[in-house]
Formats: sequence, structure tokens, C-alpha cells
Amino acid sequence: MGGPGTTITIMSLFSELRRRNVFKVLAVYLIAGWLIIKLLHHLHPVIGLPHWIEKLVGLMLIVGLPLALYFAYIYEITPVGLKKAVDVDQTQSIVYKTGQKLNAALAVMIVLLLAAMVVGRLFPEPPALIDDSPVMQAPTMQGVPPAIRSVTLENGLEIIVWPDHDIPNVALYYFVRVGGRNEYPGITGLSHFFEHMMFSGTEDLEPGEFDRIMEAAGGHNNAYTTNDITVYQDWFPRSALETVFEIESERLENLEFSPEAIESERGVVTSERRTTVDNNNINKLVEQVRATAYVAHPYQFPIIGWPSDIAAWTQEDFENFYRTYYAPNNITMVVVGDVTPEEIFELAEDYLEDIPAQEPPADVRTVEPEQQGERRVVIETDAQTPLLHVAFHAGAAADPETLAMRLLLSILVYGDSARLHRLFVEEEQLAIAIGAFPFEGFDPGLVYFYATLPPGGDLGLLEQRLFEELARIAEEGVSEAELEKARNIALAEFWGTMATINGKAASLGEAAVFHGSYEKLFDFAQDIEAVSGETLKAVAGRVFRRDNATIGMLYAPAVEAEVEE
Amino acid sequence: MNPARTHIRLPVLLLLLLAGSVFAEGVTLPAFHHFELDNGTALLLSQQPEVPLVSVTAILRGGAVADPPEHSGLANLLASLLEKGAGDRDAAQFAEAVGASGGSLSSRADLETITISATFLARDAGLMVELLSDMLLRPGLDEAELEKLRDRSINFIRAAKDTNLNALLPIYGQAFLFGEHPYGSPVSGSETTLAGISHEDVLDFYEQQLGGDRLTIAVSGDFDVALMSARLSDAFGDWRPAAGPLPDIAAAGRQAGRRVLLIDKPGATQTYFWLGNIGVARDYENRAALDIANTVFGGRFTSMLNTELRVNSGLTYGARSQLSRASQPGSVAITSFTATESTIEAIDLALIVLGRLHEFGVDEETLESARNYILGRFPTALETAAQLGNQLAGLEAFGLDVSFINDYGAALMSTDTAAVAAVIDAVFASSDDLVFVLLGDAGLIREQVSKYGPLIEMPITEPHFRPQPATDE
Repeated sequence: MGGPGTTITIMSLFSELRRRNVFKVLAVYLIAGWLIIKLLHHLHPVIGLPHWIEKLVGLMLIVGLPLALYFAYIYEITPVGLKKAVDVDQTQSIVYKTGQKLNAALAVMIVLLLAAMVVGRLFPEPPALIDDSPVMQAPTMQGVPPAIRSVTLENGLEIIVWPDHDIPNVALYYFVRVGGRNEYPGITGLSHFFEHMMFSGTEDLEPGEFDRIMEAAGGHNNAYTTNDITVYQDWFPRSALETVFEIESERLENLEFSPEAIESERGVVTSERRTTVDNNNINKLVEQVRATAYVAHPYQFPIIGWPSDIAAWTQEDFENFYRTYYAPNNITMVVVGDVTPEEIFELAEDYLEDIPAQEPPADVRTVEPEQQGERRVVIETDAQTPLLHVAFHAGAAADPETLAMRLLLSILVYGDSARLHRLFVEEEQLAIAIGAFPFEGFDPGLVYFYATLPPGGDLGLLEQRLFEELARIAEEGVSEAELEKARNIALAEFWGTMATINGKAASLGEAAVFHGSYEKLFDFAQDIEAVSGETLKAVAGRVFRRDNATIGMLYAPAVEAEVEE
Repeated sequence: MNPARTHIRLPVLLLLLLAGSVFAEGVTLPAFHHFELDNGTALLLSQQPEVPLVSVTAILRGGAVADPPEHSGLANLLASLLEKGAGDRDAAQFAEAVGASGGSLSSRADLETITISATFLARDAGLMVELLSDMLLRPGLDEAELEKLRDRSINFIRAAKDTNLNALLPIYGQAFLFGEHPYGSPVSGSETTLAGISHEDVLDFYEQQLGGDRLTIAVSGDFDVALMSARLSDAFGDWRPAAGPLPDIAAAGRQAGRRVLLIDKPGATQTYFWLGNIGVARDYENRAALDIANTVFGGRFTSMLNTELRVNSGLTYGARSQLSRASQPGSVAITSFTATESTIEAIDLALIVLGRLHEFGVDEETLESARNYILGRFPTALETAAQLGNQLAGLEAFGLDVSFINDYGAALMSTDTAAVAAVIDAVFASSDDLVFVLLGDAGLIREQVSKYGPLIEMPITEPHFRPQPATDE
């Protein structure tokens, strides 16, 4: 048979490989190697083996395979020890016996393999799959990400940039420091209406062209108005960056108010009011409760405005408003996404720095006087499901107590395990839903509870039970487990917002506007750790008082008798 | 361990080389691991550790179309009941386990699926799998919990009639358009059908329609792939198949002519309208062209409908067109609302815009704008791990492959105006063949709207979404 110097045909090589047991060695090797890797993998989570051990062993096995085959081919086991196959006298060869031993080994291996399949846990992926998984680490909350940069232009416009190259998109938000609190009777709702007017024409843009250019470039946009601020949001692919700066600078500098555009938009806002307030019992009641909770401060005005004001705005109102509030020194811009700070700062200099600064708007001077006793407001209207709303005066966004109140509200109403949901919805079934949120802004706001009752539900009883449970918090505080839960919820929510360029832009902007600097956002984890159960209890005691409450009820006239019995 | 369980029949690794890469022409799905357990459960794992959260989407095929018509809302009620106690935890303990860890979890039925979605802090990945498997394999299905949920679901419909008519309108629309077809049954039921659902119905649905052979699980976010795959195969490899067959849904035919349903809400100061017909299925071959056509017609702020009804005329806060797509053709509808006194003006204008769409189609410039618009938004639909997991699970459950996403950009790029015109003719019914569903103060608009076609009227307080024969109750 073949030896050095002999011509080897494929067939003869094959039979020689078989004779020298190379195939059997291969089979034994593969099965044994596979079992070793499975075993390691199985042990890794149990005894905490590091991932690299698996990789190392896998690598050794791969390198070892050709060596094993090489040795199997070159050497033979003989009764006197290991010899090169070519040196073995073929009449004395015991490869057949060795082969039988290998057969036995193979059988054992197959049994082990089956046993692994049957008894043990057979892992789903092939080893290569596990080895391919890069070890990736999620971020931890460690201070302010150094990639974030900010600059204030000469005209006072503050710009904050957070590069995030996950997707080739950009979120550009700007926060104008104007909202319902800057209004007075006659111009209520003007901030919101003005937000709509920002999409009408400019010197160089026809009405509607802003949106057409934005959408044709792959972007879209929105805006919202609160009691305190008006926020403009553009989302677009990176390729539209300069286009967006161009059209934003145009509407920030050269907005026009044609009578036709005003009239048309008046119709739109009236429709918005009809759909969000007039035909929505919840918002109808919110509007009345807020108007009742404040007697002096402009937080009493509905953001969308009273209907008579919506009908009466003039062109002059808009022009004054634009000059006063849409000044660069009254705006913070945030850009998050597939950008660099340098390019944004350069675009800002090119497109926004020439917009002249203005005298800062007048401060809102009115401070809401302390409430002297419980207030009530009732709406009688067509309703199958009665509503109970309760609003308490509380802190401003920047008050240290406000974070404690947020944690407290999540203990009370967040999710199915929250206290008030469990008690009123699940156990006592007084309500079909209960929620709460803080209205918090530059000035002291409200903590607002809202519940929907089943048809015929007992408003009086739910009101009584709500006050009892809120008083219980003030007396007994919350458990350590509840506080820990509230922290976990806050943490998960924080990371949820950090997962998108929108969430990052909104959070950075709110931190900058309401808390004085975007860096404050990254104190969040330590801030929530620092809130103690005692603080929660103290805040509950200060806020959840009947003489600090406005109670709103909405029900159908027919239900009234039951309520007052 | 049950020895018959964990054998992996088909380890398939889909490795797409460029993780998360996005090209000008669209989006490519990032790498993910895909394998199937012996019982048919599909597992999809995608590591996306951008933030320390982990998300799961579990989709069970079946869903609301498996509801008996007289018990519509059954699948959705069962989905909600899965959260109300499972494994060793009763409802309160289950909620506490979710809440205490800062997790969120929700379970609901859609037309053809039951979907459970959850997000937890990465450190609680094990708890997340435990809760999910308890819900599916060991649900409490407690009768008292069912009764509470059922009553509350009925009252939620009543509450929506007080506060959220925009949300109810499409339910009335689907019900009137599809009639007896399963797509006409409201997924969350009606006051009448919910009231008739018994504990036994729920137990039976669980046996018949839920099982490992119907299940797809996608996990995405910050987690250890090896550990997670071991946990999932352990937890779900054993689950029995569903006892009953998947519902077999026939395609509903396009409606010819017009008919009008007027839902009376006395005192309403505006009229909500929904004008629709049968459209196309999810796997419609000209999806890119259809999305362009719908974007132009009523799918974005500068769409034809919103431009005419809102921007140019101030008749409404918003007007749009909506496509619902499922395994069989769903609906295509125009929807908006306007002051009671401008009802006719707004509806007529919407019909004129529909006529214009058919007559003029979409020009080159508008097509390019719409294409850019869709492509520009596309990456944001897959930005978070939860979005990605949801997408992967959906593709798997609906029998679509990654080309549904990966080839979509190229399909948009190659769509021309002729293709869009063809799709408009094929998918959007003309204004002569429309089902009109109007909700408003009937006393003030009844006479005028009767011009649109034969009119049926029902009060909003009726406990169902479709006019019923008088003997029904």
C-alpha cells in the first residue's frame, strides 16, 4: 500500500485513511469537542466562568483538530508504543484493534451525546453563535456624557448638541419661554394660537411651504404649547440638516401674518378646541378645575384659550407677541442625532446669529395667594361615566420637593400595583380608572388626580376614600419597598427616554429650561436615591390637605340626586 | 427537566452583516439570532445594549378573529386576564412583581394576534422571562378577576363614548363595512358581547387558541444571548400546541354603491366621519407604491386631504386616510371631524379630493417628496430595542421575512408615477362606492346627510357597534 514515493489515487488515500482510523478519530474528536463546549457553556452561568474560557477552549479544539488527524495518519499505536505508520510492518499492524477501541470510544461518545440531549440541557445555538456575540455593554449613569456640547450665540440663543449616530436622523427641538402663564384676559390661548401661526407664511415662504419643504426633504415636525413653554420639534434625516436651519431661521426672523391665514387657522383651532375640550368630558372638567384652583395666577387659563378670545385675536396681537417672545435670547435649541457639535454651531452662526436679541419679556409677577379652603366645581352634562378630579397646589418644577412628589405619585397611581389603583379599581371597584400627574412649571403648579367612575358610581364615596388614603400617606408615610419601587420605575423611565433621539432632546431641553442647565439631567439617579421616605411623608402632609384642594365633579343631571343624597 | 422537551429542531442563524446599518435607500435589520424550539415556538434574539433595558414581544397567532361573533372581545379579555395572576402569584402579587422592579408589561389582542409586550431593567431579564412564561403556560384565569375585567371593559366603552369619539369611530366604521365578516367584530368587544362572555368561554379559548405552536418571542436590548436562549428554551420548549385550528379567514369583497350609518350623539358640537371600503392585505405586492399613494392622499401633514380640509379651509383640526392591513384585505378609509354646521361642506370636500386623487394621480415631484418622507422616517421606526423586537416578532408571526424591511427602500426607489396611479385605481374605491359612518347630532344633520345614500341610524347609547335587528337583545 501507499508509502512515500508511491503514487496515491484518491481511492487508495481514502482506504488508507480508513485503515489508519483517521475517520474514527475525526468522529470521536468532533463529538468529544462538542460535548466539552456544551459542558463549559452549561457551567458558565452556574459557576461564573468568564466568556473567554469558552472561546479559548473552542479555539484550542479547532487548532487541535488538524493536529489530531495528522497524528492519526502519521502514527500508529503498536504493542511496543507509538510508531510512524510507514515504519510499522503491516503484518504486525494492530490498527484493526485500535479501530475497535475507537469504535467503542465512539459508541461511548454517542451514548454521552444522546444522554446530553436527553438528560441535560441542550443549548439552542451552535457554539459559533455564542462565540460570535460581541460582548456589548449598556451605558451606566456616570455623570454628563462628554460628547454633549453647548454654546450661547451672541444674540443670546442657547444651543445644546448631543451627537448620537445610532440612526442617520436628527431631532431638533427649540424651547420658547412663553406659554399660558404669559397671557391675560383677552389674549388667553394666544401662545397656542401663535404656535399654529408659526407654520403659516414668511417673507420668502408661502403659507404651507414650511411643511412642504420639510416633508419633501424627508422630515416632519410638530409643536406643542404648555402653561410655561412652546416647543417646536423637527425630525429629519441628516441630509436635510441645512434645509431645516434655513427654513427655521426664516420663520424665526421673518414670519408674516396674513389675515387669510389667521382666519383659516382660527377655524382649525376652534376645531381643535371642539374635539379636545368640548366633546371630551375629561378635558372639559380639567379646564374648569384649573380655572377654579387659581384665582390670581395665569395658570388658571386654558392653554387653548377661552372661545371668545380665540374668536377675537388681531394681527397686532401676533406682531407684539412675536417680537417679545420669539427672540433668540428667549429660546433654547437642542439638537440630538447624527451630527457633530461643530457643524451645528457653524450652521447656527450662519443662519441664526443675525436674528436680533430683544429686551427680555416682562416677568410674570402674580403669585397665587395661599388657598383659604376647599373649592368645588361641578359640570352637569351628558355623561354615562361620572368623573372625579381633585387638584392640590404644589411646587414649581425646580423645587426640591417636586421630585419627591413625582415618586409619591408613582407609588399612588403608576401601574396595576399602585396603591390607589389596587384599592379603588381592583378591590373596592369605586372607579374604572384613576391617574394623577403633576402640572409643574416655572411657578407653583398642581398635583392633579383624576378618576373615571362606572355608570351610577358613587362620587361622594370615592372622594371620601381618596382623601382618607392621601391622609394615610401623610400620617404613615410609605414603605421602603414602595420607595424602592418608585425609584426603579423612575430609573426605567429615564432609560426609556435615553433610548431615542427624541427622548434625549426633550429631556435635555426640559432640564435646561426648567432646572437651569442640561447637566442637571444627569444628576437624576443620585437625586432619586437621595429622596427619603421622610421627605415623601412630609410632602404628602403639606400638599394633600382639604383646604388646599379643588374638587371637580362631572355627571349627568339625572345622577345628581344620588350624589347629593 | 422533561426529556422530551428541549431538543432544538432547527437552529437557523440569520446573520446580516451590517448591524443597524441604514442606507440612503432604506433600513437593514441588524443581526439577530433566530431558532425554533421543538414545539414550534420561534425565538428571535437581538442584542441592542444602547441602554440598560431589555424588552420582549411575544406574539400568538390567532387573536380576535377566533372570537365567536356573539362573544367578540373574548381574545382581548383573555389577553388582559393573563396579567391578572399567573404561576404562584395572584393578581396583586403579579402586578407587584412587575411594578416593584420598575418594569412595564401589557397584554392585548389584535385582529389576528395576542401580543404581550414588556420592558424591564436589564438586571431583571430573568424575572421578565419568568413572568411571561407564567402568563402563557400557567395563567391563573381566575373567575372573579375575569368578572372585574369584563365589567370594567364594558364601562371603558361607555367612558369612551363620553370622551374619546375619535377612537370609537373606526370601530363603528369596520363593523358597518365588514358586517358579519370577522374583521367587522370589534377586537375589544361591545357592551353586549362582553356581557355574554363566561369563565368557561375564556378557559376554552385558552385551550383552543393558545399554545407553543402559535408563539413567537422576540427579545431585544441589553441581555446575554446564551443565557437568554437557555432561559427561553427551558421556559417555553414544553408548551403544548393549541388544541383548535387557526381561524380560516376569507377575503371580504369590495362594496359596491353607497350606504350610510348615522350614529346619534345629541348635543355633539361636531360630526366625526369615516368613509371607507375594502382595501388590501398585509402582503400586498405593491406595498411601496400604495404607501406612497396613501402618504400623498392622507398620510402626512401636507397630504391632499389635510391640505384641503385643514390648511386651506380651516374646517378641521385634522383629516387623513388610513389603511388597515391584515392577512386578508382590511379597510381603507378617509377620516376627519368638523363643526356640525360644516358637516356637508367637509364631507363633500373630502369626496372632491378623492376624485382628484383618481383623476390626476401623483406627479413626479410629489412622488419624490412622499418617497423622501417615508424613507426619512423609516429609521426612527426601528430606533429602540423594543421597536426592533416588535418588528422581528411581527415578521415571524405573519410569515414575512427580512426582505419585508430590507428590500422596502429599494422598492420605494423603483416606484414610478404609473405604478402609483395603478395602485390608486386598484385600492382606493371611488366616491360612488363608499360606506359612510357619521357620528354627531343626528337631529341637526340627518336630512342633509341622507343625500349620500340609504341611511340607517342608531343612538350612541346602543350597546353594540353595528345596527342590530330589533330582536337581537
